[in-house]
Amino acid sequence: MRGIRWFRVLTVLITASAVLLPLGIVLYQSVLDAPFFQPSAKLSTSAFVFVFSDPDFHRAFATTVLVAAGMTLIAVPLGSILAFLLVRTDLPGRRVLEPVALIPIFLSPVVLAFGYVVSAGPVGFFTLWFKESFGSAPWNVYSLGSLILIAGLTHIPYVFLYTSSALRALGADLEEAARVTGAGAARVALTVSLPMVRPAILYSAVLVFFLGFELFGLPLILGDPGGLLVLSTYLYKLTNRLGVPSYQLMAVVAVSIIAIAFPLVYLQRRLIGASARFVTVGGKGLSPRPLRLGRWRWPALASVLVWLAATVLLPLSGVFLRAFVSSWGEGIRLSQVMTLENFRELLDYPNLVRGILNTLGIAIFGGALAVAWYALIGLAGHRWQSGWSRVLDYLVMVPRGMPGLVAGLAFLWVFLFVRPLSPLRSTLFSVWLAYSVVWLAYGMRLISSALIQVSPDLEEAGLTVGASRGQVIREVTVPLIRFGLIGSWLLVFMIFVREYSTGVYLLGPGTEVVGSLIVSLWATGAIDIVAALAVVNVVLVAAGMGVALRLGVRLHG
Amino acid sequence: MTKTLLFGLSLGMNWVVADSARAADKPVATPAPVVSAAEKEGKVLVYSTTDSAAAAPLLKDFSVLHPKITVEYNDMNSTEVYNRFVSEVAAGGGSADLLWSSAMDLQIKLANDGYAQEYRSLEAANLPDWASWKNEALGTTFEPITFVYNKRLLKPEEVPQSHAELVKLLKNNPERFKGKVTCYDPERSGIGFMLLAQDAGTDPNFADTIKTYGKVAVKLYTSTGAMLEKILSGEHLIGFNMIGSYAIGKQRKDPNLGVVYPKDYTLVMSRIAVIPKVAKHPNAGKVFLDYLLSARGQEIIANKAALFSIRSDVQGEYTASSLNKALGSSLKPIPVNASLLVYLDQSKRLAFLKQWQEALGTR
Repeated sequence: MRGIRWFRVLTVLITASAVLLPLGIVLYQSVLDAPFFQPSAKLSTSAFVFVFSDPDFHRAFATTVLVAAGMTLIAVPLGSILAFLLVRTDLPGRRVLEPVALIPIFLSPVVLAFGYVVSAGPVGFFTLWFKESFGSAPWNVYSLGSLILIAGLTHIPYVFLYTSSALRALGADLEEAARVTGAGAARVALTVSLPMVRPAILYSAVLVFFLGFELFGLPLILGDPGGLLVLSTYLYKLTNRLGVPSYQLMAVVAVSIIAIAFPLVYLQRRLIGASARFVTVGGKGLSPRPLRLGRWRWPALASVLVWLAATVLLPLSGVFLRAFVSSWGEGIRLSQVMTLENFRELLDYPNLVRGILNTLGIAIFGGALAVAWYALIGLAGHRWQSGWSRVLDYLVMVPRGMPGLVAGLAFLWVFLFVRPLSPLRSTLFSVWLAYSVVWLAYGMRLISSALIQVSPDLEEAGLTVGASRGQVIREVTVPLIRFGLIGSWLLVFMIFVREYSTGVYLLGPGTEVVGSLIVSLWATGAIDIVAALAVVNVVLVAAGMGVALRLGVRLHG
Repeated sequence: MTKTLLFGLSLGMNWVVADSARAADKPVATPAPVVSAAEKEGKVLVYSTTDSAAAAPLLKDFSVLHPKITVEYNDMNSTEVYNRFVSEVAAGGGSADLLWSSAMDLQIKLANDGYAQEYRSLEAANLPDWASWKNEALGTTFEPITFVYNKRLLKPEEVPQSHAELVKLLKNNPERFKGKVTCYDPERSGIGFMLLAQDAGTDPNFADTIKTYGKVAVKLYTSTGAMLEKILSGEHLIGFNMIGSYAIGKQRKDPNLGVVYPKDYTLVMSRIAVIPKVAKHPNAGKVFLDYLLSARGQEIIANKAALFSIRSDVQGEYTASSLNKALGSSLKPIPVNASLLVYLDQSKRLAFLKQWQEALGTR
């Protein structure tokens, strides 16, 4: 008993310091009138006054709330249904569809958005073809509606990962019971399966909504031409409006977003409430048979394919096309501009291979390490009736309240000004820590929702036969939440593949990642090379997933 | 078309071959004690806004010249260079040995705030007067600020050759150019702001010019990549205040891109090098700076990186001397001096942005 208490307290303390160090600097910075490291900096509310009286801030805030809410409303229902279809039914081709559905997560959002521009933008190849065939193209990828739609559709995979992990761990008995009484697949989904995994769906809803505040790549590419301003692109104004970067103003924006986390987590706690209702991993192991969709089989497949066409095929075809041509757009015959030059040039790019290896390394091993940490946090809070576990709930959520631009600075400052950490600054460890802290909630909630499903009976059975708490955790609890752990690792892996901004100030020669290569190429206008790099990225990750699946990493039970 | 200042690509390639042979002979004028101290330091840490691919030929040649000095080259955007540097200095653990950035105003601010160390580079004698400030901040390139347009969609006779012609073109065809003109967003891009502020001081009809941009709903971006790509695709037709070196890099790959050096005035920006006081390898920083300014380094800057050499004795297509020949007195280099600090004053900056927003009708 003593051991477990120590483990819990220690985990909370370590996690708290990892979260609160960068956060504390940002909070402190927000109430100063100059960079916190300048001796002349004084306590002041001037930054709050400046930002809150700036009409651009209000405009950006309103747009951001709209985008976040809209994308949540799109992603959550569709993502849950998709998960049910792929995990619980006999949908044709579901094993193949699953990895394809995940592509939008690991592709850099800037590249994804640019893919939409090349295919469906005003002079995109799909738009031009459509215009030629039907006279006009009635859409505008740069409108607020498009931004919300694209953000919503491309965040479906997050909800999918959450819901599917929980569905996999769901005992089949309840569904069986419903089916015996004659319920069809849709009815089983809506009245039994999805309500039983409500914690997972709720977590994903909260997290997707919160991601809406951090959204950067999509609004940068799709919002700029229409003058759409969201909080993360508004930060650009704050870095430049006064000539020199004004950290206090940026910190105020971060604090405003962090403030949103609190009511969100409160709501989440209220809605999940007594977790006993969601215990679905009981003693009776009944392995589920897929529900028959019957005559809905093909229409269901068609809907999934339509979604894949919109979120994977459309942007990816744009990116692939751009990688293989020297020019595109109005007045171009694509057959005349085909080239492999972009790939040849990419190969010459300095440190390309090292960047790719670093990225894969930090995603695969760093991802696994992060999940191990998240699992410890999850287990520490598991069945812990204490105010600390509530603190933990809020704690994990706040780091993502810092938009990438601010998080990057905050971690630079942590590694600069917290002396014991300084020697680690130019190693990949610092990058890993920054990534892991910022994405804490996202990886951890998958594990939490798996833990909620585990029946206490099983653990108590272990204790009764004389096992220690630690043994029970290792030999009972952890194996039972394996789907949550695998799902978490998959999500973290994909996020780490594309993540960049959080580590921007920690990266240097030797620690390049694909994200930093993309950004530096983009800045000089080498979008063709960026596209080629994205193609390499997709092929590598897809091949990696294929190999992993062959080697027996099983996404399925 | 004939009026447009477009240099033949093949001509450029010839220069590369001819010049690199000669350049290797010119020694870099760094005092021997500095070189030997630098070799003892063994390393130079550079924070730069010039991307690794463009800098690669420079770094390679430098390592041939100074095999005992390793270059640790960090490329990042200009805000990142500034943030990282000031944060590192404040933390007291040392920072870069050379800052090489296109954000001219921020570089001058660093020097003005006392972060730079003085170095009387012998190579600096070859720089024009406007390119060095107190031996603390030195201009290293000569990059024209250009118009960039889509050659497929803009007829040769339509292509504006000056700011006045651009305004006229837009005024005469407001419908056709609506949403088809692009530039950096001065509110979100430091370089965009600096260039527009220079326009304000150079263009006699500035107020009318920006009003015209507003009438055609100019599209504002933060990245060069997005703008060049969209001009090439035909989503936009023309962009102004575009950095010539990037435009030419793109043009080499896709000849559909047209580049114009405006005849009334062509602004010229320069990447500024600063050796920080806190440099841990100050001598290596000096050796690297001398190399950047040397004929040998400038040959590569001009002919391999297309960043335009600032030295008048370096020949080739992308050099100050060829631009001077073609454009003469209409070249307006942005001086490397304290005048760049004017708009870092908060109230002046905000007032200027207000003028811009009002002209655009966004406020």
